[in-house]
Amino acid sequence: MKANKKKRFITTIDAHKKIIYKIVNSYCRNKEDRKDLEQEIIIQLWNAFDKYNEDYKYSTWMYRIALNVAISFYRKEKKWSVKNDFYSEDSIFSMADEDKNETQTAMDQNIKLLQEFISNLNELNKALMLLYLEGKSYEEIAEILGITKTNVATKISRLKLKIKKEFQKK
Amino acid sequence: MEAIELKKILEAYDTKLDEALRLNKSPMQQLQLEKSENSTKSIQKYRIFEVVTFSLLALFLGWYIANNWEHTHLAVSGIILHFFALVALIGSIGQVVLLNQIDFSKPIVEIRKKIELVNSHGLLFVKLIFLSAPVWWSYALVGLDLFLGVDLYVHLETDFVVNYLVINSLLIIPIVWLFKKLSYNNLHITWVRKTIRVFTGAKTMKALSFLNDIEQFEN
Repeated sequence: MKANKKKRFITTIDAHKKIIYKIVNSYCRNKEDRKDLEQEIIIQLWNAFDKYNEDYKYSTWMYRIALNVAISFYRKEKKWSVKNDFYSEDSIFSMADEDKNETQTAMDQNIKLLQEFISNLNELNKALMLLYLEGKSYEEIAEILGITKTNVATKISRLKLKIKKEFQKK
Repeated sequence: MEAIELKKILEAYDTKLDEALRLNKSPMQQLQLEKSENSTKSIQKYRIFEVVTFSLLALFLGWYIANNWEHTHLAVSGIILHFFALVALIGSIGQVVLLNQIDFSKPIVEIRKKIELVNSHGLLFVKLIFLSAPVWWSYALVGLDLFLGVDLYVHLETDFVVNYLVINSLLIIPIVWLFKKLSYNNLHITWVRKTIRVFTGAKTMKALSFLNDIEQFEN
């Protein structure tokens, strides 16, 4: 019975691992922290697996747990992680290939800027931005965060405006 | 920058994360799923200890009031202390209730608020200390009577008692004002921020400041 549950859990997590990875990558600045947070999120998901409410989409349920765990972790670990370089050798940029043309390099620069912008957002705006990047509907974002749909729309348009300004500055 | 260009960057960022994810797939079978005691549980233990302590204190003070009913000054002092013990008890019960409501599968804003209200619990005790300043003689009267068997009141001159009552009654209004002012809603006021930081420490301050952020995020 328990083995069956574990198998079901692993299959589900495997199918949605992208969610965990993106959250971990946005809230943690170094490899060790990322591993710890990933483990913590998986444990919390496992602990809550029996209580999963089928009224919600699995991804909504998972986002809520993973983001709540990530925010707690971030608030606990923040003072240590600021010492580390966000673009360290284990960041997503080191994984890209070496042979790039000019357009790719320019795009990489833009992505770096965007990641820098996201990393400087506060915990809640970071969550909002992540969900927006995931292509979630305003309704689903509102459901995950617990704010109104109108509020989501206002905040996203403000963030987009901020990003534009940030890019124009650089 | 055009909206379409921004959209392209956002999409490229997402693709980059996907690439990294493909390169970083760790074997899920090696997952450790042991339940670890989370911090909510350990805080809950402290809060339950508080509930037990304040309940015992409230019961003890009830017994003290009943025993000294005929000595008005001791009974009144006991009632004042009992009031503070009950406020602290209600605060701690509220914390246990909040802790039991923390469920990470609920909406982020709702849960963060509850967590930060738990983390900022220390402020309640600071407020109670401020609030009890005008009645600090009650502590002295009950303390000396209980521990040394000395009834200080009979040694006090009437003029002193009257002056004390008048001065401390005047203190009640500013103290209640201060009680209301010391809140996360007023962290933009420098002296409020500094007072809270000095009396509660950085952890409570951090929690209060986040509560403020949550409220701004909600609106």
